Amino acid sequence: MGRYIARRLLQAIPLLLIISLVLFVLMQAAGDPLATLGGRQPPRAEDRARLARQWGLDQPVLVQYLYWLVGNDWAMMDSDGDGIPDQPGTRKGVLRGDFGNSLVTRQPAMEVIMERVPNTLVLMLTAQALIIVFALLVGIYSALHQYSLMDNVLTGCSFAAFSMPIFFIALFSIYLFSIRFKAWGLPSFPTGGMYDPAVGRTFAQVASHLVLPAMSIALIDIARYSRYIRSNMLEVINSDYIRTARAKGLRERYILFIHAFKNAALPLVTLIGLDLPFLLAGAVVTERIFAWPGMGRLFLDHLNRTDIPVMMGLLMMISVAVVFFQLMTDIVYTWLDPRIRYT
Amino acid sequence: MIFKRLTVLMLVVVVAAGIVGPVGAQGSKSVTIAFDQEADNLNPMYTTMTFAGYVYAIFLSGAWNFDDELLPHPVLAAEIPSLENGGLSADGRMITITLRDDIKWSDGEPITSADFAFTHEMFVSDANSPLTRDPYNRITSLETPDERTVVVHFDEPFAPWLGLFRYILPEHILRPVYEADGSLDNAAWNRAPTVGSGPFVFAEWEVGSFIRGVRNENYFDAPALLDTIVIRFVPDPEAYLAALKNGDSDVGTFVAFPDLPELEATGFLDVGIYASGYNEGWFMNANPETAHPAMLDVNVRRALAYAFNRAQIDNDLLLGYTYPPSSYWEGTPYADPDLEPYPYDPEMATQLLDEAGWVDSDGDGIRDKDGQPLTLRYATNTRQIRMDVQVVVQQDFADLGIGIELLNYPSDIFWNTYADNGPMATGQYDIGQWSSSPDGFPDPDIVRFMCNEIPTPENPIGDNWQGYCNPDLDALFVEQARTMDYDARVAIFHQMDRVIKDDAIWIGVWYDADSWIYNTRIQNVRLNGASPFWNINEWDVAG
Amino acid sequence: MSSSELSAQPVNLKLDEDTLPPQSLWRMTLRRFRRHRMAMVGLFTLMGIILYIGVGSLIFTEAFANHNDTRLRLQPPSAEHPFGTDTVGRDILARTIYGGQISIIIGLFSVIVAVSMGTAVGAVSGYYGGKVDSTLMRLTEAMLSIPTLLLLLVMAKFFSGRIPDLVIFGRTFSGSVLVIIIIIGLTSWMYLGRIVRASFLSLKESEFVLAARALGVRDRQIILAHILPNSMAPIIVAATLGVAGAILTEAYISFLGMGVRPPTATWGSMLDGAYQYIEQAPWLWFFPGLLIILTVISINFVGDGLRDALDPRSDKKV
Repeated sequence: MGRYIARRLLQAIPLLLIISLVLFVLMQAAGDPLATLGGRQPPRAEDRARLARQWGLDQPVLVQYLYWLVGNDWAMMDSDGDGIPDQPGTRKGVLRGDFGNSLVTRQPAMEVIMERVPNTLVLMLTAQALIIVFALLVGIYSALHQYSLMDNVLTGCSFAAFSMPIFFIALFSIYLFSIRFKAWGLPSFPTGGMYDPAVGRTFAQVASHLVLPAMSIALIDIARYSRYIRSNMLEVINSDYIRTARAKGLRERYILFIHAFKNAALPLVTLIGLDLPFLLAGAVVTERIFAWPGMGRLFLDHLNRTDIPVMMGLLMMISVAVVFFQLMTDIVYTWLDPRIRYT
Repeated sequence: MIFKRLTVLMLVVVVAAGIVGPVGAQGSKSVTIAFDQEADNLNPMYTTMTFAGYVYAIFLSGAWNFDDELLPHPVLAAEIPSLENGGLSADGRMITITLRDDIKWSDGEPITSADFAFTHEMFVSDANSPLTRDPYNRITSLETPDERTVVVHFDEPFAPWLGLFRYILPEHILRPVYEADGSLDNAAWNRAPTVGSGPFVFAEWEVGSFIRGVRNENYFDAPALLDTIVIRFVPDPEAYLAALKNGDSDVGTFVAFPDLPELEATGFLDVGIYASGYNEGWFMNANPETAHPAMLDVNVRRALAYAFNRAQIDNDLLLGYTYPPSSYWEGTPYADPDLEPYPYDPEMATQLLDEAGWVDSDGDGIRDKDGQPLTLRYATNTRQIRMDVQVVVQQDFADLGIGIELLNYPSDIFWNTYADNGPMATGQYDIGQWSSSPDGFPDPDIVRFMCNEIPTPENPIGDNWQGYCNPDLDALFVEQARTMDYDARVAIFHQMDRVIKDDAIWIGVWYDADSWIYNTRIQNVRLNGASPFWNINEWDVAG
Repeated sequence: MSSSELSAQPVNLKLDEDTLPPQSLWRMTLRRFRRHRMAMVGLFTLMGIILYIGVGSLIFTEAFANHNDTRLRLQPPSAEHPFGTDTVGRDILARTIYGGQISIIIGLFSVIVAVSMGTAVGAVSGYYGGKVDSTLMRLTEAMLSIPTLLLLLVMAKFFSGRIPDLVIFGRTFSGSVLVIIIIIGLTSWMYLGRIVRASFLSLKESEFVLAARALGVRDRQIILAHILPNSMAPIIVAATLGVAGAILTEAYISFLGMGVRPPTATWGSMLDGAYQYIEQAPWLWFFPGLLIILTVISINFVGDGLRDALDPRSDKKV
């Protein structure tokens, strides 16, 4: 097992290097960080040329990647624009934990990202909890009442939800639960944000702002998860050992929840394990619509300004998380199911 | 059971993340301003973003500011320098600013001429990377003979000097940071300017949500009547409108014209349109090396202006909130009031094109000349209203035998540099559409139409992306920049207005003023398009 | 149960070929598919939609669908414009027809790209194993490690404006259609790749493959003629569901303003501007939105039916 883990970790290194190189090159060509600098019209060409030099954007892409990766404090840089390198750079590079400074806010890129991580986790973990609870209820019910009217209705609804673009659900819920409800004098949910700054970051505030975005995200994945749980449950219920258990005269509820559910739930661990790192990416569309200050919105805002350090930091953080969670999932899996052995 | 544990874990995380020290409201009088983009930085050196500029203006003061008539009034300065009061030298190369003697930072420290000198030093220091050094890089030397006097020298007379010292940095806070870090680029103050000089003091920035300011008790002028000011960031247009309509936000801006009627219909939102210096226009490519040959003929460019039914677009798509501008400086005194835009006249357009030799000789519906069809590249960014205008133009021009190829780019590709092969900068277009403003608005100075600004491999940093060169216009541009007398300068701009129109090098599409919306519960709101919150200390709401 | 009952039926060992024809795989599949009620509903809805965009384009010309009249901006549904008009006064009914064609073209072609890539990677990886396998699987993992929507947005920007307009069958398509097809294809082949690989891994040790190899049949022949046809079931199912996914993905990219460029419309790009009028002009988003949802639901039902039909014991991952 130890050797297996070590090998997997070793394999991850070239993988992450390739990902970073490809993303870096893509991003270089995806836009110019100096094109607007956030203004409504392009800045003065003279200022752009100076900034390109000061930020190292005038270097060839592979040199820029190298500086991003290992820093530029060992190389001489041109600080005053006379074309002669005169003093060493100040960047340490990703390998030494320096993801560079955001080209937008000038903060360290990791600081920019970390400011958003808790917000995204609040939203996504709530949504994930909703998803798991409701998916289990729907999935198990459907499996136990296969082909019943309710099963068909639930199946139909899951397909509909699964086929729905999330912006549709999100915008419609704002329209209904914020605008219309308020107009009708019913208790309504806020249109966006994480809490009302006049009240402060209280639990009640965050919770009320959380309802609409979390439900919007959950709706689609409840459909996906519940279908998966339903089919797993069906497979287990129809398997030999459940029949044996029934034949032994065990109580039905005991059979379902101790024997059937436990085994049907196992593959769910994989599903969740593989989904978890992507929670970090936030829900780009949902966060945008509900003005939720999370990572998805961060990405969109900084994509529009081609803020390479922040986008690279964010994508690399997720990639590392994916690799890590894949490994974790495998390990947890062997622990839960002793029949599986990795060598 | 794994799931129980997992669920419990998740709930714990959610609850823990949700309760992170409640921040109660500080006072009872609060106004919320909504922007659809988050500020990037609150140090004037490090942002050119319109919204960031609005925000730091609440926390910082400058030598002078512009009121709702866009006229300058002194803030930190005792009076606006002029030829009469001796503040401007007769040769226009020296400006003397005398400061008020009661001005202080929010921590009680006095604001002195040393802060002015420091601000200049920071903008031009090679150790810093400000987004623009203009106009501080025009200063040849700066002296501070005493705590209350700042003397600035230029090589050449410098008419746009009101762009200097719009906001002053606190030396006593930032000098130590500059010396410790070797640069101001990463100073914490840039995003948390806790010591300022505006009517409000920065209190907190909840990233992605809002910035909150509280009344500056040490403000040197009339103290603010409101207790707190909150700037919320709401990126989605629909949610933005909803927040204004249901009272979550009191002040909004940049709402598309078609959405204004429904806001006005609420009864408690007032809508105003304010000149921001911006005008949406067509930039005609006249570069012999990159443009379609027809574009080099001034009569073809005029024909395009006659063929373009701008009034209909402004009436139908922008609901008549705006109109076709006749001048690049529409909405300011620098626009010649007697100048009329090209009228919509398709017969005239047809006649001009026929005379220029562009006729449909092969019967394919598109005019041609010497075997080359009159198919023009019409480029803009991906803003919805611009894409709508594009399809209307494509159809209208097809009726006149003008082929139009539509090109759209995301803004940061559209405005890519010459060195990076940007479609505008390298002339991969015939008609380019966007909205532009003088950088130092309300000052009208620009360089975009000047011959020496045409980008080339030797001079990749030119701003003249149209490759247009008219020595007469060049001379006028040079002249206005050294004319210190306001009326004389206005007269020069009126001459330039005519040249630009006659050469049909820039065709105004709509007067791109800013819309501002505010809740009528706020009193004394007097906005403008350059510094909308100049009198925010006078804003008030009923208790 | 008495013994007489057990022996009551005479056992006929001789198979009567006339009365009990051997059921071909396809016939059994069809029968099973027809039993899946929702799949049949989906299939008929889908046929209706295809009829709508097919027959519709015979009634309305593309020029009519792109014809704008700003004076007729945002007209509610009427006899003249049954679905109303959009922000520049174009007829929405006609635009849903032509937009639907593009949406479905994007759905189909990006799946062709994805299936080709996924099958190629999966087949080579599963068949050859070893270094080739681990390299390709690392690549697959790398692709899976990047959130798809984020990657799509970066790629959409990367390609934007680089591909000129195309003229196919006398119709002009914005080059962005090709861009969207390519990037959706490039970001959605990974799961299929894994499915195909798994299927190849198990089949390559099967007796018929070993036999073929013993006879000296070339690798290419074995992969294409022997193993691939036996792995078709999961590929078909994944491809069907992929079309639905691609149509949705296009709508997402368009919603975020990076989709197909005008004058070409898709259902997704019709929603792009329309969502600002969710209250003011609901017909703008209702009709294209409804068509997207109907199409995607029907395709998903058909895919589900196919899965049940092709492999009754397959795990039903949605």
